[in-house]
Amino acid sequence: MTAPGEGAPDVLVSARGLEVHFPIRSGGALRRTTGALRAVDGVDLDVYRGETLGLVGESGCGKSTLGNALLRLVPPTGGTVTFDGLDVTGMGRRQLRELRRRAGMVFQDPFASLDPRRTVAQTVSEPLEVHGLHPGRQARVARVRELLELVGLDPAVAARYPHEFSGGQRQRVGIARALAGEPDFLVCDEAIASLDVSVQAQVLNLLRRLQRQLGLTLLFISHDLSAVRHVSDRIAVMYLGRVVEVGPAAAVAAAPQMPYTRALLSAVPLPHPELERSRQRIVLRGDVPSPSRVPSGCRFRTRCPDVFEPCPDVDPALQPVGSAPGHVAACHLHGVVGTPVDGSGSTPAASGPPGATASGVRGTG
Amino acid sequence: MTQLPTPGATPAAPPPAEPLPTAAPVRPRWRETLGLLARNPTAAVSAVVLVLIVLVAVFDETLAPDGPNEQDPSLQLQPPSWAHPFGTDEFGRDVFSRVILGAATSLRVGFLSVAFALVVGTLIGLLAGFYGTWVDDVLMRLMDVLFAFPAVLLAIAIVAIRGAGPANAILAIGIVYVPIFARVTRASVLGVREEVYVRASRSVGASDWRLITRHVLPNAAPPIIVQTSVSLAFAVLAEAALSFLGLGPRRPDPSWGLMLADGRGFIEQAWWYAVFPGLAIVVTVLCFNLLGDGLRDVLDPRQRTLMAGSGR
Repeated sequence: MTAPGEGAPDVLVSARGLEVHFPIRSGGALRRTTGALRAVDGVDLDVYRGETLGLVGESGCGKSTLGNALLRLVPPTGGTVTFDGLDVTGMGRRQLRELRRRAGMVFQDPFASLDPRRTVAQTVSEPLEVHGLHPGRQARVARVRELLELVGLDPAVAARYPHEFSGGQRQRVGIARALAGEPDFLVCDEAIASLDVSVQAQVLNLLRRLQRQLGLTLLFISHDLSAVRHVSDRIAVMYLGRVVEVGPAAAVAAAPQMPYTRALLSAVPLPHPELERSRQRIVLRGDVPSPSRVPSGCRFRTRCPDVFEPCPDVDPALQPVGSAPGHVAACHLHGVVGTPVDGSGSTPAASGPPGATASGVRGTG
Repeated sequence: MTQLPTPGATPAAPPPAEPLPTAAPVRPRWRETLGLLARNPTAAVSAVVLVLIVLVAVFDETLAPDGPNEQDPSLQLQPPSWAHPFGTDEFGRDVFSRVILGAATSLRVGFLSVAFALVVGTLIGLLAGFYGTWVDDVLMRLMDVLFAFPAVLLAIAIVAIRGAGPANAILAIGIVYVPIFARVTRASVLGVREEVYVRASRSVGASDWRLITRHVLPNAAPPIIVQTSVSLAFAVLAEAALSFLGLGPRRPDPSWGLMLADGRGFIEQAWWYAVFPGLAIVVTVLCFNLLGDGLRDVLDPRQRTLMAGSGR
């Protein structure tokens, strides 16, 4: 999935064939495993050092699980994750702790992510204590003040409890905690979704400022495409546990190459009244299939307006699409590339029958 | 590359648009809890009475007019009088003094047995609830086995095996209450361990030990505190029952349960002999129970908001 035509980009976090399957157990004493919920199902994704990668998709598509799995907060059931060249899936206790220092997470609900019984200072200094940073009480207090200032809070609030703060302020505390260990990588899991709209913009701008100021690599998970477009260098689109399109933010937003992305983008209201009036919505049929019963071949085929013969039979792989370098999508419309459903031919990309010539790149409406 | 700038070099952070909590006094949770408890008259009175009872137990030898076994054969089974407010028993001993001296025995057995159950039960409940899977299965099935026995019967069995005496009474009552604490703790931990702030702490690298001690236990504590208070009541009662059956402290040491047992034989001639120790048990147990109820109300977050809202 590396961008063709460019020098190999500096990859910080990388997932290959990443799977997170949750067992579905029957009730009763024996608890037999009767199936699997495939929350993340074979994700290939690279996050480049210093970039903001936006990860979008409907709720339930596995975005959050993917973000958690990259940091091993949810154990992957298959595939690999590497962080700065280190194998995350095989890390021992010490390495894992160092990973937790170098990779932070900002959570969706700032009312749930702060321990109600701990002061702001205790919460923010927890990473310092865990990793033995800034040893000594004085040094830690100073560092907590510094962090609170960094996220735009008055350091005097350090002794307060979370319930005394508004949502936006709590989220700033959560960000300060995530930054305390001086991480390289920050996963923002729907970090603005539960905030008021006016506060969303503030927190979004704060994240952008911090990213530039600290040289952070950001994975920005959101269902809000306009927010993602606003902050991201690249955008990855997820559907039913799989990344289906990745590319430079401008390219994905302006020329989506996969029908699902097109539908997703068409749902975003435009800020210009005349354009908004002429906006064409692509309304998808049906519901997202259950992640415990993923359709064969292309998992989007049950709702795709452009479905054709190879879709149920070949599981599409990501392939270069469009004109922008590094723009890839998993869609047979661009040529049938992928794994035949049979399962006999295990991994190699099989070219589809040449008869299916609907592979011309469709224009972008 | 992620070196943070020094505070001096930090560009002026944009002033937060929302008003920061300013004048709100910084009050630790437990002070708030005490404040709310003070506004619950029943719980407040219970707490005060319990403190008095504990003080009596601590200073028993100074407070008691007579020694525990000072006999006066000329004053057998005297009704309450100024000299002997609770009357005398069949050996001419002052019942008032013996009730005071018995408080220490009853409370010591109560506190120590509950402390034992609290420590062991909470530990088991924490491990079972936090780790789940087979740890949960093994520990909680063991607790079920203990729980399946009728409490007093189990205590009697333990005392029967190990012999009578205060130490064994403490152990017996303690073991009986372990499964209760384990269950209450586990149930509470199951809820707390799924909280986002626990995952958030894990995401910054906190160890299991740190998660359990700093986040899970403090947030799972309220039901355990209430259970402690209620269990103290039952433990005092259980001590009385074991003593009554002759399985706790031995004669002639003063103990409320023993006095109740001995006084029972004289209930028609000398009601005061059994009634006053019985009253001491009732008051102590009632106070622990009422305090437990009050704590439950105060520690329940929804109740807490209601009460704080109406009170301010």
